Amino acid sequence: MSTAPFLDMRQVSYTFPGWPPVVQRVDWDIAPGEFHCLVGRSGCGKTTLLKLAAGLLRPDEGTVQLQGRPLPEPGPQIGFVFQQPTLLDWLSVRDNVLLPLSLQGPVGADDVARAEALLAQLGLGAHLQHRPRQLSGGQQSRVAIARALLPGPSILLMDEPFAALDALTREELQDALLAVCRERGTPVFFVTHDIAEAVYLADRVAVMDAGRIRHDVRVALLRPRFQDVRYSPAFNAICAELRHAMDGEGVA
Amino acid sequence: MRYPRLLALALLVLLLLAWEWAVQAFKFSPLVLPAPSVIGAALGRGLVTGYLWPHIAQTLLELGLGLALGVLLGFAGGVLLGESALLRRVLMPYVVTSQVVPKLALLPLFIVWFGFGTTPTVVITALICFFPLLENTLTGIAQVDAARLELFRMLGATRAQTLWRLKLPASLPAILAGLRVAVVLALVGAVVGEFIGASQGLGALIIAAQGSMDTALMFAVLLLITIIGLLLYEATLWLERKLLTTYSFPSN
Repeated sequence: MSTAPFLDMRQVSYTFPGWPPVVQRVDWDIAPGEFHCLVGRSGCGKTTLLKLAAGLLRPDEGTVQLQGRPLPEPGPQIGFVFQQPTLLDWLSVRDNVLLPLSLQGPVGADDVARAEALLAQLGLGAHLQHRPRQLSGGQQSRVAIARALLPGPSILLMDEPFAALDALTREELQDALLAVCRERGTPVFFVTHDIAEAVYLADRVAVMDAGRIRHDVRVALLRPRFQDVRYSPAFNAICAELRHAMDGEGVA
Repeated sequence: MRYPRLLALALLVLLLLAWEWAVQAFKFSPLVLPAPSVIGAALGRGLVTGYLWPHIAQTLLELGLGLALGVLLGFAGGVLLGESALLRRVLMPYVVTSQVVPKLALLPLFIVWFGFGTTPTVVITALICFFPLLENTLTGIAQVDAARLELFRMLGATRAQTLWRLKLPASLPAILAGLRVAVVLALVGAVVGEFIGASQGLGALIIAAQGSMDTALMFAVLLLITIIGLLLYEATLWLERKLLTTYSFPSN
């Protein structure tokens, strides 16, 4: 690779005390601006790997580096989107998005303007003053994405953020996510159990099983992608390859 | 909405009329069961001559002081125990034990310690209000969603920020439910405290009326206590509505 890795995980292992290892000697690196997906079955260790990348967990062995330096303490420089939107019910949509900034210090008029612009870009311009419970599930996920992106994180980590949504809403959110991340050049590490979602979003997909990365595929589909690409033979070939890898039939 | 309320009011009038009629028809002694008209006259006389006002003021003073003290200490204790696992482990057995002690049984002891008058009643009222607040604050803080706690960690929030911006707002409904319980119990504490340890106040007045066999006055005071309780309860409901509107938008 010509560019230095942006996020670099080397020989990373993690074990919860009293259990078999959850993550075993994983090597993974993400180049600037790239979108990577991690697929695997429930319990394969993919969420743990993502939390290691976020600094929410510290590896027992191995190193995690962000932009050539050891991973800092958790902070808004790393955007994290959880499985649930985890919005605060008592704050308006706008104040939820401003939360990461307001925890760092006073919020200025320019911050408010940026939050409103970002929400408008995500199609929530009419909901600034609404409470999270007044929004649909898909809209809440959009707010969670806006909240993670507002501080201008150097990388976005996402843990099955769309798993609870219906198929059509999920596709809309995938397109919205690709658009905002492309515009900002933010690299993304995205965990999902949905192979088609991974192939649609990613430049590179890792298959994880029992704590190890078993397979690694580059997705050479053109960008920008539209939902039509899902019906192309190339798309389906990659999906089939990943499916075989998940079943442990050893394609590579 | 209006119709059932009218029915409730009509039922009250009907019951009072039946009571009035029964007293006359069966010639109950006014020592046992005075007629509503006699009770009303006693209440009116007490209010007009100003005989009742000092007693009302005394009970309200004890109620207010005891409630404020108990609620503040209970809340502070709940926050401390909720934040410190060490304190929780050391102090919880004592908290549970002291909660089981019937607080009113301590009143004779408090009279020995603090003398007759306002102080023992305020202390007993505060003690009674302390536990619902402590318990509900503690439970509310302990039940904050783990995903939201992880969000605050990921955003680099300090411990104080996590308490003030997440744990306390998230526990507010539970804390206010504790307040509602405390308010009702406080009135019991104040009145029973006056039974034993005071010569002023509505509780003391009931005992005095019993001594002079003025049953109508006993009923009148009982009515006053009930009205105070209802007003207090309504006030906490109003406070809840006021503080929780931001939480409880109906989902659409």
